[in-house]
Amino acid sequence: MVERDSPLGPLRRPGRHGHSRGAPGVRLAEVTPAAICEAAAWPGAEAALAEAIGATTGLGLDATPGAGARSAEAAAFGIGPGRFLVTGRHDGLVAALAAAVPADTGTVTDLSHGRTVMRIAGPRAEWVLGKLFAIDFAAHAFAVGAGRATAHHDIAAQIQRSAGDAFDVCVFRSFARAFWAGLCAAAEEVGYEVL
Amino acid sequence: MSPRRAAAGGLVDRDRPVRFTFDGRPYTGFAGDTLASALLASGVTLCGRSFKYHRPRGVFAAGLDEPNALVTVLRGAVREPNVPATQIEIHPGLRVESQNRYPSLAYDVGAVNQLGGPLLAAGFYYKTFMGPVVGPLRGTRFWMLCEKAIRRAAGLGRAGREPDPARYERMNAFCDVLVVGAGPAGLEAAEAAAKAGKRVILAETEPAAGGSALWSGETIGGTPAARWAQERAARLAAMDNVRLLTRTTVWGYYDNNVLAALERVGDHGPAAAPGEPRHRHWTVRAGRVVLATGALERPLVFPGNDRPGVMLAGAAERYAVQYGVLPAARLAVFTNNDGAYRAAAALARAGAEVAAIVDTRSTLSDAARALAAETGAELLSGHAVVATAGRRALSGITVQAFEAAGGRLSGPRRAIAVDGLAVSGGWSPALHLASQAGAAPVWDETRQAFLPPQPSGRGWLAAGAVLGTAGTAEALAEGRMAGRRAAGQRAARSRVPAVAAPALDPHPAEVIAIPAPGKAFVDLQHDVTVEDIRLAHREGFVAAEHVKRYTTLGMATDQGKTSNVPGLAVLAAARGKPLGALGTTRFRPPYAPVSLGALAAERYGHLRPERLTPMHDWHVDNGARMEDAGLWKRPMIYGQPGETVAQAYVREAGRVRAAVGIIDVSTLGKIAVKGPDAAAFLDRVYTNTFSTLPVGKARYGLMLREDGLAMDDGTTWRLGQDDFLMTTTTANAGKVMQHLEYLLDVAWPDMKVHLTSVTDQWAGAALAGPQSRAVLAACVTGTAVDNETLPFMGIVRGAIDGAPVTICRLSFSGERAYEVYCGAGHGLAVWEALMEAGAAHGIVPYGLEALGALRIEKGHVTGAEIDGRTTARDLHLDWMLSKKKPFVGAAMMDREGLTGADRHRLVGVVALDGRPLGGGAHIVERGTAEALGESIGHITACCYSPALQRHIGLALVRGGKARHGSRAHVSDPLRGRFGPVEIVSHHFFDPEGSRMYG
Repeated sequence: MVERDSPLGPLRRPGRHGHSRGAPGVRLAEVTPAAICEAAAWPGAEAALAEAIGATTGLGLDATPGAGARSAEAAAFGIGPGRFLVTGRHDGLVAALAAAVPADTGTVTDLSHGRTVMRIAGPRAEWVLGKLFAIDFAAHAFAVGAGRATAHHDIAAQIQRSAGDAFDVCVFRSFARAFWAGLCAAAEEVGYEVL
Repeated sequence: MSPRRAAAGGLVDRDRPVRFTFDGRPYTGFAGDTLASALLASGVTLCGRSFKYHRPRGVFAAGLDEPNALVTVLRGAVREPNVPATQIEIHPGLRVESQNRYPSLAYDVGAVNQLGGPLLAAGFYYKTFMGPVVGPLRGTRFWMLCEKAIRRAAGLGRAGREPDPARYERMNAFCDVLVVGAGPAGLEAAEAAAKAGKRVILAETEPAAGGSALWSGETIGGTPAARWAQERAARLAAMDNVRLLTRTTVWGYYDNNVLAALERVGDHGPAAAPGEPRHRHWTVRAGRVVLATGALERPLVFPGNDRPGVMLAGAAERYAVQYGVLPAARLAVFTNNDGAYRAAAALARAGAEVAAIVDTRSTLSDAARALAAETGAELLSGHAVVATAGRRALSGITVQAFEAAGGRLSGPRRAIAVDGLAVSGGWSPALHLASQAGAAPVWDETRQAFLPPQPSGRGWLAAGAVLGTAGTAEALAEGRMAGRRAAGQRAARSRVPAVAAPALDPHPAEVIAIPAPGKAFVDLQHDVTVEDIRLAHREGFVAAEHVKRYTTLGMATDQGKTSNVPGLAVLAAARGKPLGALGTTRFRPPYAPVSLGALAAERYGHLRPERLTPMHDWHVDNGARMEDAGLWKRPMIYGQPGETVAQAYVREAGRVRAAVGIIDVSTLGKIAVKGPDAAAFLDRVYTNTFSTLPVGKARYGLMLREDGLAMDDGTTWRLGQDDFLMTTTTANAGKVMQHLEYLLDVAWPDMKVHLTSVTDQWAGAALAGPQSRAVLAACVTGTAVDNETLPFMGIVRGAIDGAPVTICRLSFSGERAYEVYCGAGHGLAVWEALMEAGAAHGIVPYGLEALGALRIEKGHVTGAEIDGRTTARDLHLDWMLSKKKPFVGAAMMDREGLTGADRHRLVGVVALDGRPLGGGAHIVERGTAEALGESIGHITACCYSPALQRHIGLALVRGGKARHGSRAHVSDPLRGRFGPVEIVSHHFFDPEGSRMYG
């Protein structure tokens, strides 16, 4: 099996960049998981879908807007009415989830190649993301595991808080390089390290 | 020591001298100085020339209300004009020049404009627009004659032509409470809200928090007010839930408590740190807003009130107390209120000689008299200044007895020699943001000020001078109340720190213009005089808004901060009405000028992100010239050394017809259409039927808009019973997705269909040419690709180089062709494997130009023909219009006008003169190169056809097929092209399709 290429190409330059005083304000990394899919429920079947996702991934999801959950193996969050972005470390997840979602509950669409996930972590993560998105990233407004579907100008972005000071931003693969460049530029002020 | 620097005092750092240049001359100030305070300290009184009359002007205010001392800041080759000298913090390397003068500030030839006063009076623009009724300069000709001279003579600074290399950024912020203004009221409000646990943003225009506490000379809680403010600000800044933004002007108040602010991050230093922006634009979404924006002092209006050396009293006080600078050595004070007495005392304490205090009022408060006595000044109550003297600096004033009630001057005129005059006409609350947020301001007769209207709903609260409150103690109490209320707490009164301040009368006398002869300015920046406003009234203007526009009163970069109320007072007097009956103009954003760079922020240059396919780097590495296709980058040609674009595409297209070529089609829109109703849904949105399509097959489909015109085309693949992969054109992917989502959400919400954009999931490579099957056979594993296994429109799954692929046999070029799809992350590997397998067959990569030539030869349509005006019949796609089922557009497509025989329909054209055709060129029946003939249509696409070895094109021509075999002309006068063409079938090449199917 061939490896999956990163879309960042030469723009991914590991090491320290931007403002060099003190510890880096943020750490940037591409963390695209092996499996990414969108699971969508028919109207009225949202809870059944959340249950199926839970049964496959072990995540406890409720079907409220923006809700989500994470574990070491998988993550999921709502990206629209009855729609979830589900990711996992193992590439069998999409097929397993598709098998677990009956036709009268909803559909599962594989996006493992179609989306790229970037992680921005560190003490200034909220500050840097505040430059790009009109979203309240404060901890009490955006809990760990919760997600937001939004956009940075032309680039649709789905964001999940992956830890207290870390966010995973999921964008269309074709936009990944442009978004990465914007993210790096926004992080220059606080200094950043590419992992 | 500088001539005007007080021996001691001020908040400037006297141990840190700072050198800068003004008009090329070096000056020295101290860290903490503004350009205005440093120039005043150096004895510079002349700072600029006025807008219309080029009159000499000096520093007039101390804050962002400065109307006169506008300068141009030079940063490298970049010029930033019209910056108030009061808003510039001096720093090493600062270079500034004065503006609107030639050849120099001191000797300005434009000053001759003063002699042409009547020509430049109110409404002169409008009058020159209209011009005389008769004669050679009638109508707008007069304006055209005057325009250049007027534009050159009237004006402010000059913008530069160099691009600005500075960085600008935008920031989004959320808070529970936004406090605007960090004076005593704002500091108190912010602390009250922060202590209640709320997330607070406190924004302050000046470099340091404190507001009036920095120069009031009062004590708060037993501490000097300036130190109290510093300590309070430091305490707030240390709190986790408070963000203190200094050098930040909140300039716009929009719906739902969205406020706009500009932070000047880097203007006060010589060089920005790496990645640091010069300006940061804040969009703040606040739960509640506390306006603690303070008040702006008004001048008095009297003849000669614009001479350098005349200054607002509060500004003079601020220069003395905050900066340790004496604006003049010997000065007078002219006032209609008690506030200026505190200024006089402060100036005297700092070492200035206060020669006289001239007060329009006859009766004065005890506190004012006490302060006057402290200064040793002659107290002239019931007097007014009626004239000033001096050329480029004030040398004296003339006073006369004045009866405020009747507005009458009487008695002898008397001259007093002074080099400075501090004036105060009362205070105008800075209610601009409240006005932006809603209702009109309300005139308060006792305070002689427009006050903010009562807020409605969950909008703003206010505290301090913005409410017309005069005292610091009251401001502190109001601030704390507002902070508590904004935090959702009970607004119980509680003890605030005690304030030691003189018990001055907070109410000024009525606002009026001193009725003496001579040019008395109302709007200093736009050179609007009392007489201009009276003239506007005589010419029929009675409403405040109309007079503003006619005279340009309050329309300069300072937006009339010092001039609005005095101007209204003059208009009210002319109309014989009380000022309150007139109302005021409404304030609109921005409160203060905003840099365009900050509004654009990162959105400059190409403005749009690039969208790249997985094979992008390969294309670039292999000589592709990339072309924009929407946001996508696509190869136009893969040029070889010395090749023109035309030579390259002819070579590439020729290889496709002769052997095999490969093109990146990853950009095609791809939509997963899934669910039990997916087939029925496609039957409704396509003109042809998809429910009959077997699994493992693809079909070409056409969509119409609801109005019956063609919208988009593409193939849709049935991957499973309820699982389709729809492809769209690259350009229309988003539009089609929106169209389909709209139908599912609004028209047919009961259909069980899900749509997901999978454009980016799949990399696509189209392999075309007689050798394409051999190339596939050499590299695909897990499936056969022969004609039986993979017939035209068939789909198979296999692997290439270990990567799973889905292959569909379909053709855009007219050759035997296949589209190979794989996961995007495998795109490059599969592409390279196909190139390697094709090497033996002479494979070439081809770009959009060759693709275009191949499809023109075949007569296939794209967006150039599906242009929003053509129907399926116009494009000869009527065979796709099902008669067995309804579909979107079916009801409207047979309208009269869409079916007429004279519609423009698709044809082919061949150049008969062997010269290239041009896209967009018209087809005419008759006519010559000189005389344009009647157009019967236009060319939509054209190329040199390698297969036919002729210049050919597709065209939409009236009558369409009926003209096959006839001759016409191509007419393209823009590009100088005229010549004969033959109209033929759009199927130029292999009309039977024998090359595709075999």
